[in-house]
Amino acid sequence: MSKMNVVGNRVLRTDAHDKVTGGKGYTVNVRLPGMLQGKLLRSPYPHARILRIDGSRAEKLPGVKAVLTTPDVPQIKYHPVYFAPSTAASMIKDMLILSDTVRFAGEPVAAVAATHAEIAEEALDLIHVEYEPLPAVFSPEEAMKPGATQIYEHATNNVAMNPAFSFGDLQRGFAEADYVFENTYETQRVHTCYMEPRVCVVDSDGQGNLTVWSSTQHIFGLREKLAFALGIPVSNVRVVKPTYIGGGFGGKLDMGYIEPIAALLSIKAGRPVRIEQTRYEDFITTARNPVKMHLKTGVKKDGTFIARYAKSILDTGAHTTHGAVVLMVHGFFGFLLPYRCPNSKWEGMTVYTNNIIGGGFRGYGAPQAAFAVESQIDEICEQLKFDPIEFRLKNAHTEGEQHPFDPNFKLSSYRFEECLTRGAEEFGWSKRRSAGSANGTKKRGIGFACQPLWVSGCVGFPDIYEHSGAIVKLNVDGTVNLAIATVDMGCGQNTVLSQIAAEELGVPLSAVKVSYADTDTVPFDAPSHASRVTYSTGNAVKAAAGSAKKRVFEVAGGLLNAAPGDLELLNSRVQVKGSPENGLSLQDVVKRAESPCVNMVPDGMQRTPLEEKGTIMGFASLAPTSNPSPAAVQFVEVEVDTETGEVKVLRVVYAHDIGKVINPPGAEGQVEGGFQQGLGYALMENLVFDQSSGACLSADFLNYKMPTAMEMPADIKCVFVESEEPSGPFGAKSLAEPCLIVPAPAIANAIYNAIGVRVRELPITPEKILAGLGKL
Amino acid sequence: MKHLISLEINGELHEIALEPYATLLQVLREELGLLGTKKGCDSGGCGCCTVLLDGLAVYSCMVFAAAAQGRKITSIEGISENGKLDPLQESFIQSGAVQCGFCTCGMILAAKAFLSTARSPSDQDIRQSISGNLCRCTGYHKIVDAIRMASVNR
Amino acid sequence: MGMSGVKEFCRPQTARDVVELLEKYGDRAVLLAGGTFLHGLFATGLSSGAKVLVDLQKAGLSYVKARNGGLALGAMTTFRELAESEPVQKRPEFAAIRDALQYPPPQIRNQATVGGCVAAALPLFDLPVALMAVDGSVTALGPRGSREVRLDKFFVDYFENALETSEFLTDVLLPKLPPRSASAFLKLETNANDLALLNVGTHVTLDESGICREARVVIGGGVGKVPVRMVSAESVLKGQRPSAKLLEEASQAVSADLHPVSDHRASAQYRSAVAKVYVRRTLKRAIGQLGIELD
Repeated sequence: MSKMNVVGNRVLRTDAHDKVTGGKGYTVNVRLPGMLQGKLLRSPYPHARILRIDGSRAEKLPGVKAVLTTPDVPQIKYHPVYFAPSTAASMIKDMLILSDTVRFAGEPVAAVAATHAEIAEEALDLIHVEYEPLPAVFSPEEAMKPGATQIYEHATNNVAMNPAFSFGDLQRGFAEADYVFENTYETQRVHTCYMEPRVCVVDSDGQGNLTVWSSTQHIFGLREKLAFALGIPVSNVRVVKPTYIGGGFGGKLDMGYIEPIAALLSIKAGRPVRIEQTRYEDFITTARNPVKMHLKTGVKKDGTFIARYAKSILDTGAHTTHGAVVLMVHGFFGFLLPYRCPNSKWEGMTVYTNNIIGGGFRGYGAPQAAFAVESQIDEICEQLKFDPIEFRLKNAHTEGEQHPFDPNFKLSSYRFEECLTRGAEEFGWSKRRSAGSANGTKKRGIGFACQPLWVSGCVGFPDIYEHSGAIVKLNVDGTVNLAIATVDMGCGQNTVLSQIAAEELGVPLSAVKVSYADTDTVPFDAPSHASRVTYSTGNAVKAAAGSAKKRVFEVAGGLLNAAPGDLELLNSRVQVKGSPENGLSLQDVVKRAESPCVNMVPDGMQRTPLEEKGTIMGFASLAPTSNPSPAAVQFVEVEVDTETGEVKVLRVVYAHDIGKVINPPGAEGQVEGGFQQGLGYALMENLVFDQSSGACLSADFLNYKMPTAMEMPADIKCVFVESEEPSGPFGAKSLAEPCLIVPAPAIANAIYNAIGVRVRELPITPEKILAGLGKL
Repeated sequence: MKHLISLEINGELHEIALEPYATLLQVLREELGLLGTKKGCDSGGCGCCTVLLDGLAVYSCMVFAAAAQGRKITSIEGISENGKLDPLQESFIQSGAVQCGFCTCGMILAAKAFLSTARSPSDQDIRQSISGNLCRCTGYHKIVDAIRMASVNR
Repeated sequence: MGMSGVKEFCRPQTARDVVELLEKYGDRAVLLAGGTFLHGLFATGLSSGAKVLVDLQKAGLSYVKARNGGLALGAMTTFRELAESEPVQKRPEFAAIRDALQYPPPQIRNQATVGGCVAAALPLFDLPVALMAVDGSVTALGPRGSREVRLDKFFVDYFENALETSEFLTDVLLPKLPPRSASAFLKLETNANDLALLNVGTHVTLDESGICREARVVIGGGVGKVPVRMVSAESVLKGQRPSAKLLEEASQAVSADLHPVSDHRASAQYRSAVAKVYVRRTLKRAIGQLGIELD
């Protein structure tokens, strides 16, 4: 591919200056005249019926402008997940804005809007609620037992979904296997820990129209869900796109309780209402679903898979929310698809419990699977003395193959093998010693894990949106406005999309400005999720810029007396290909298009052609043509203190095929940040709850353990294997999620290599290590 | 019952009427519209609210505003002068240390306090100086790079 | 946040003034030292009766000074000021304090105070364990004058100390320690912003011939309502010459006095196992400061 001017360069984030001087764009900063503060009253019981609720005393407190209880709220069942339409058949609609049955401790039962947050808090204490507590269950196993409390009428034994898929002949496969391995792996509930809390402001105009600001990953999803749950037309809801949000990671991929409640409070009070969740509330708002996964794997002497079976039980909590789709991504992209195997079967269960609801979280079911799959492969290789790199290579897909999920696509660019070999070399994999063979109290070990197959967006997935749009507008000073619905949640979407537009239009990055957008003024974009923005929205942006470029050539062609097809845009100049001196600045072309038809000049009037007049704009709205797969491999070295069980991660090498790297420092940042989340997942993060009351015991940063700068290794190397994806913008695929999928199994495998102890349950705490060493 | 107090913030004296239990974070954000200091957890656990008191990093969510009388308060708005960025703000931009940015201002202030006395800080020293600041986006990697860059460039 | 009952704020100029305010307001007064603990306390609702916030910043309680051959640490001395003081930086007998103060992040070190930390009586805190290891006491000032209370007796229960009505803690006293004394401290934590799962402070004094004359082993963290002295371990050490074997014996002896709790952060068995390792490691470190290297 030819050298590029903006794409592939180590550019600076376009919003960094704003953020280092304070950061104006966060939703927490939105202030409207007359704005009220809203607070939610939450159930102390994990499972209860509300017999009576009386907000009249709260209404009388001076400063209180509206109180909301169940009778004030439309009883329309919805599902909150942004990436699927409300009408999607595969999504379970089991939520209500406020219900007369609460199903998890912390579920909202009422709300207040007042002039000050303290008054709203005080008013909550004045709302009288009479509960009838019901028996509660806190684990899927308990929930599925006969006689367990039924959380919903529609779910027998509290099973929301029970999909199963098989390929080939599993029984015959196991019969043909030379060795069979069976193990169970468990992962825990963790929280996204976005630093900007969930916050929204909703303003109603008294005529049924709502304007919404929210720290959200999807403005169109919020619009659709809010309209649906309130029973109003979609066009009555305008969601303003935040300039950027303070982190999401999938934790803001669904409509929370705060947006519909703020809307209803605003309608009632006739004033804008703001609701900002406390950190405690955020910890009980969203989580990665815990999964227990049982694997039965048959391999042949030659190191190939012959039969693979898995059963996954996912705890979806009080409402399904993401639990249905997380399970499917887990089953397909976590288990069935990453490696080749002629006979396989997977069955999954999404089970209701009275635990908190799940949300999206980077990896979306795959981290739970990768921990199991990549740990077990390591166990298989250890026991059978197979080379774990060779084993992966033998069972991997290859470039050019039909895509394992969707036969409409091919693995058009796929460098998994190169990631393995280059990563291994960079890391020094060949120096690995046998497990537990190190001397001393502190033992070192190395391990690796892979995510061989992943997605670039959601083309081909049932009931999931996948199309993007963009509008490009050229200004008379040579700058470009880019209007997109895409939310930048910190990954750098604004910058990458600006780079793509700049490259296509032959202008510097500084000339592209991402402009204001809301759901009335820009075309739909699917959410910032599923590692999709660079690839999917990038394609739309490139196409929109291309369409503006086409118009530039039409106008310039007239001025330069050249056919539009003979022109190129380079360095902010429109010029004839091959004779660059024959050209005009882009600025001049735009000026001509925007200038009056007749201009006064020194010697009279100058007429310019009517056909060249008009704002130069480009528009595109499209679905991507493929779903190309990135591939990721991560090598890790750890040191284990065998007297205390403490684990230190010393160094990391990460090899990833993401196609063309559009923004190298941004890509590195994704790897480094993903490792923090993965290290936390592996070693310390755990959302824990009291097993009788359901109250959260880790709802602040003191009790919820997240890696600080002290726990992170200083040595993290990124190896980007740059394949060229033909269907991607400038050859790019996707990046974000594998960075969080691979660390936990890589660390688990490294720990095994260090001390010969296998832990099959996350987090791998020092206590579990000491227990595994027989020291407890 | 609101009391009138006088606070020196970024070199300017402000007279504010507030409740005795108001925190410095509340005063900065709600009374004075200085929105660069962020509320991440309101309990001294995340560092997003870090400001400087007489040049020392503190959690403004845990400082009673009334108790800050007589001390020099510096927020992120106070470290650039006439549009010229502090070397740390520059190095954070140059190093790619800013992703979602919510932790950024707290990090910069913690680092600023640290670099005011640290001579040739090691990687460990730098990490310890931001051990009270959580980040979920960057893995701290480029933040440490940025602080090292600023320590060399001053 | 539970603080909205607070209506008054005052800044007494002397320690005596503080006592008068306590006498005047009783339970309705809350003393503000650094404020890092107070906010958490209010959030739990434990101080919801508070009406008056008494800011101690101007009461003349920030100092680290020599007293009776030992040290007096004013209640309002911040962690940072204490850590940067010459005695704590330089003297091996106070190394446990230096070790304990390494753990908190800078923001806490700059704001938290000796007095606030000790008076809180939370066994999960680090500095009190280190201070107990070096045989510290507190000065309590009240309407009837001042009295000294040894830290061993000062901590009564979670959040409960031995101060009487209208008394408050003005400083922490460290005794004159014999020559060839050294101490050390270690904390078991999950990440850098953690309350101790377990912490250990040890202190030894050797005579000229290298025999251990004094030993104090204190354990805090999830081991009970107050930090606990490991008297059996101390007995193993006293009168003996330190060796790797002796240290191992002493660390095993903690089983006699250590009864940790199991909670959602760690089990009792884990705490017991690491307690022994940490006792051995802190003793080794302390003795190492006296020029004796053990395996």
